[in-house]
Amino acid sequence: MSIPFGAAPVRGLVRGTIGLAIGGAAAFAELAFVLLAAPWLALPAARSRVSGGIRALVEWERARLARYFGDEVPAEYSPGRGLRYLALRSVVGGLGAGVFLLILYGIGSVAIAAAKMVSGRTIGVGAELDWYDPIVLFLLCLLLAFLAVQGLLGVATLDRKLGMHFLGPTNQELLRRRVSVLTSTRAEVLEAVNDERRRIERALHDGVQQRLVTLGMILGRAQRSGDPSRSGELLRQAHEQAQQALLDLREVAWRVYPVALDEGGLHSALESLAERSSLPVALRYRLGGRVDTATETIAYFVVSETVTNTIKHAAASRIEVDVELAASTLTVRVRDDGVGGAWPDGGGLSGLRRRVAAADGEFTVDSPPGGPTTVTAHLPTAVSVPFTADEEAGA
Amino acid sequence: MRVVLAEDSTLLREGLARLLAEEGHEVVAAVGDGQGLLSATGAYRPDVVVTDVRMPPTHTDEGLRAALEVRRRWPEVGVLVLSQYVEKRYATELITGEDGRVGYLLKDRVTQVGEFLDALERVGAGGAAFDPEVVRRLLARTSHTDPLGRLTEREQDVLGLMAQGHTNAGIAGQLYVSQSAVEKHVNAIFDKLELAHTTGFSRRVLAVLRYLGS
Repeated sequence: MSIPFGAAPVRGLVRGTIGLAIGGAAAFAELAFVLLAAPWLALPAARSRVSGGIRALVEWERARLARYFGDEVPAEYSPGRGLRYLALRSVVGGLGAGVFLLILYGIGSVAIAAAKMVSGRTIGVGAELDWYDPIVLFLLCLLLAFLAVQGLLGVATLDRKLGMHFLGPTNQELLRRRVSVLTSTRAEVLEAVNDERRRIERALHDGVQQRLVTLGMILGRAQRSGDPSRSGELLRQAHEQAQQALLDLREVAWRVYPVALDEGGLHSALESLAERSSLPVALRYRLGGRVDTATETIAYFVVSETVTNTIKHAAASRIEVDVELAASTLTVRVRDDGVGGAWPDGGGLSGLRRRVAAADGEFTVDSPPGGPTTVTAHLPTAVSVPFTADEEAGA
Repeated sequence: MRVVLAEDSTLLREGLARLLAEEGHEVVAAVGDGQGLLSATGAYRPDVVVTDVRMPPTHTDEGLRAALEVRRRWPEVGVLVLSQYVEKRYATELITGEDGRVGYLLKDRVTQVGEFLDALERVGAGGAAFDPEVVRRLLARTSHTDPLGRLTEREQDVLGLMAQGHTNAGIAGQLYVSQSAVEKHVNAIFDKLELAHTTGFSRRVLAVLRYLGS
């Protein structure tokens, strides 16, 4: 515990002390309730009423912890756990009450001893008051006061731990939740992968294939045309289409997997994305090294999909991309000055949400009508890999 | 012929329209989705509609559904469907009509300009045109392999061409045999497959296709 200074910590100490005192007094009521109510739990008819009593007392305890210690204790308890909690709570509360009684006893003793000293009577076993008696008494008081405060602090700690332990989710419950989260994210990952495959299939069929068909058709027309100048013009068009088809193919391949990620890492992959974008992309990349490949890949797709979406729908004039690493969380932020109103459940964004969720990350879309739109992903990272020599040479 | 084009890729739509114009057809409307195809067909009553399968909004089978709707509402209009890949289900759906005037081609077939125009002419003239690839798949995966096995190699070739929608004269030309030889093969095929000797050239194609697709 830090040593408190100023008004707020003092208020906190006072509040905590009051809370302990109330808790100490309540302990007796709780103990009485536990002793009287426990046997009734065996009777099915009385069970619901006893449960109601348990619930009322536990809720009162939760309110006390929240009010005097600022602890938000969860309320996930069965009547059985609630009763066990109350039984132990009454013991802890009793300890608190005991400490308070000792403090009162101490204050009383000191007052009596001081009164004796002032009137010149002895306080110890000696025949008369020695010069060092007040000093000894003072030091003794100090020691006992310290112990009393320690006792109170201990009771307060026990009080809060007990609530968390009995009223919070059990370890098994926490595990069960984790498993269900993982199960759903796993399903979502598979879904996201399928989405991506569908998109690639469409990019191939609706982009590259159409171009090649057009190219073949132009060549076919050139063959059938009897007029040499016309066929020359058609061949020129065909040549253009062939080059365009190659560009399309490169784009699709890049969307399937940006090879630059493997070679130069996230930074160079994002740089080349910014270069290829039809809108100006301002990239601020503040990372001292490399994060793990899985995180880099997701971060890359967050940026590339968002930029693609922005170019398609946002009518923006510029895009800002920020990447930074703080406390082993990689934060990716994509802002645009477009019309806003992005639909977070739309195909592209929900796919990204799934991908980020699968990596235990957070994904938020802030896009009020009228803009601007900000898409943010926080990704927990594994180890940071420091720069290797050749990367530095290439940077 | 008067043609309505439905194709969502602007590039290909323009290209097809040019090609058809060069070959003397009249493209009365060129649209980009299934809804547009239906309204243009209703407005212009063309001889043939040529439609892509995957069009907005869902890019799944809008074109095909619009094509089937055209068959239902305006049976006198020929329908030629261009598909990105062979989808047996679509082909089979188109075959279920009693009448001709249908075609199902792979989009890539457009690059064989001659074959594509030929198929268009056949559909416009009331016939049928099925992509060799579709027929090959139907022949390969049909549930009637046994009777097909009883056909001679030459009869198999004739069956394939017949299923694509070629006339006896066309088959004779492609196999370099006389037309009467083709007729003999056709009769033998119909006997061996226990198909009724249908008259009318497109009905005979459809009979074969239905047999293969069932």
